[in-house]
Amino acid sequence: MTRMRLLTGTGIALLLIGGAMQAYHPKLESPPVTAEIQVPDEVKQILRQRCYSCHSNETKLPWYDNLAPAYWIVRSDVREGREHVNFSTIGAKPAAVQRGTLFESVNLIQLGSMPLPRYLAVHRDAGVTPDELVTLRHYLETPPVQPAAPAPAAAAETQFQHWIASNGTPIQVQPEWNGVPFLPEYKNWKPVSSTERWDNHTMRQIFGNDIALEAIADGKIDNWPDGTVFAKVAWLQQPDGKGGITTGAFQQVELMIKDSKKYASTEGWGWGRWRGDDLKPYGKDAAFQNECISCHEPVAHSDHVYTMPIGGAQ
Amino acid sequence: MKQLLAAMSVVLLLSGCSPKPPKTVYPRLNREAETSGLLSWNQRSSWNPRSGRVITSWVNPGGTMTTLYGDDAAVNYARSHADGAYPAGAKLGAVTWKQQEDARWFGGRIPAQVASVEIVTAGGSYARYEGSPLTAVPGDDTQRAQFLLHQRAAVMP
Ligand code: HEC
Ligand code: HEC
Repeated sequence: MTRMRLLTGTGIALLLIGGAMQAYHPKLESPPVTAEIQVPDEVKQILRQRCYSCHSNETKLPWYDNLAPAYWIVRSDVREGREHVNFSTIGAKPAAVQRGTLFESVNLIQLGSMPLPRYLAVHRDAGVTPDELVTLRHYLETPPVQPAAPAPAAAAETQFQHWIASNGTPIQVQPEWNGVPFLPEYKNWKPVSSTERWDNHTMRQIFGNDIALEAIADGKIDNWPDGTVFAKVAWLQQPDGKGGITTGAFQQVELMIKDSKKYASTEGWGWGRWRGDDLKPYGKDAAFQNECISCHEPVAHSDHVYTMPIGGAQ
Repeated sequence: MKQLLAAMSVVLLLSGCSPKPPKTVYPRLNREAETSGLLSWNQRSSWNPRSGRVITSWVNPGGTMTTLYGDDAAVNYARSHADGAYPAGAKLGAVTWKQQEDARWFGGRIPAQVASVEIVTAGGSYARYEGSPLTAVPGDDTQRAQFLLHQRAAVMP
């Protein structure tokens, strides 16, 4: 009997607290749709259904998401989601940027990062189905109507002549905005993998320093030791005229320097990207690294490293 | 009351059991792309090109990708000259892989099994290895050797 009363009491208390919570219901703005993403209908349909609740100005929430405290969480996800990607305004950006976002989208879906896992835990049927994924991939595999103009061979030639003439004399390079230093010795490290990136028409080599190579040889790649450094170099693709692709102009070099204490606030890695043959630090301020971290987040279980290293490089 | 319970369970779920991430996101070495077998350079010595540094890389028609490595003599020369006239004895090695889709990045192709390994010495011989473990394929291919010697280095400032 007392048990019964206790339960009823708790129930009423919860009801009161729950009711009180509804009083705080900050508004979720719906700014106008100014430039929606430009994609075929079947692709847009999928984005609308699966992603627009957080990545557009046309958020539609089911009734239970409108109840606090769930509403508070969803509202913050929507606001953050829109800040990262907004399919209602992205149409104003160049076609290549829109395509890049869709490549990242497909990858986040495939790696189980989008829609947000905590959202899928509640909204069980909100995930992208295998068929829908095929539709998205198929759209991106089909080349755009106007293929990217091939990288100018003349510019690559000038760059090359300039580089060999310098005969290894190091140039003055500024550290990144977050203080991460440039390491010119990257080019003498051993490659651990290479990538042909057909999404953005580049070729890449991924290098590892000695500490990285040792960890690979020991198979200790789930938590890279402090001192590990990866460098990724990207060149524009240059067709060889015979159906093959060669490395054209140098585009950029990126570093990930592991120091679990020093770089604790950025997932244990120091991030840096230097662009062009004058190696200009990327970004306008230290916030550039958020871009790196959020795109490397889906492989957090692999210590934020995408590359599957090929052993035997010693 | 029902609504409240629904909202409460939403909160519980939000804080707890999320769907499991796919296997692809867990640490993995690309084992199938390793070279296996000893590359005997000649009767006296052997050289694993993957112990060298990178000169350049390219993608071949038909879905294979090559990285050209060099020993110190070759790399130092390639990074300061455009003529491919390597000092005699400099070693270059081309490892060619079949390609596979990067399971972690739709839009990327990465090495799968090794298709061939070629080794050239400037002013000397050319050797080609295929299979797993790698075994020498007989024959001398001067044209191919010249092709490899004349790939210019990828710019790495
Ligand atoms: C419940 C809200 C929610 C849903 C639904 C959702 N997202 Fe997101 N998305 C977010 C939030 C929050 C972020 C930013 C923080 C993060 O990456 O976790 C984000 C980030 C992103 C990013 C950018 C990551 C970066 O590098 O900045 C992309 C791309 C993305 N989402 C694509 C999608 C796609 C495609 C869908 C639909 C299949 C989708 N999202 C569904 C909330 C959502
Ligand atoms: C849009 C997604 C994306 C963004 C943004 C991004 N990366 Fe990466 N990164 C990748 C992928 C995918 C790879 C795997 C190699 C490849 O395909 O090029 C990678 C690989 C790397 C590697 C080689 C080690 C590894 O993890 O495989 C480094 C170093 C690196 N990135 C640094 C950076 C830095 C520094 C930034 C920010 C300035 C950055 N990345 C931003 C997707 C991204």
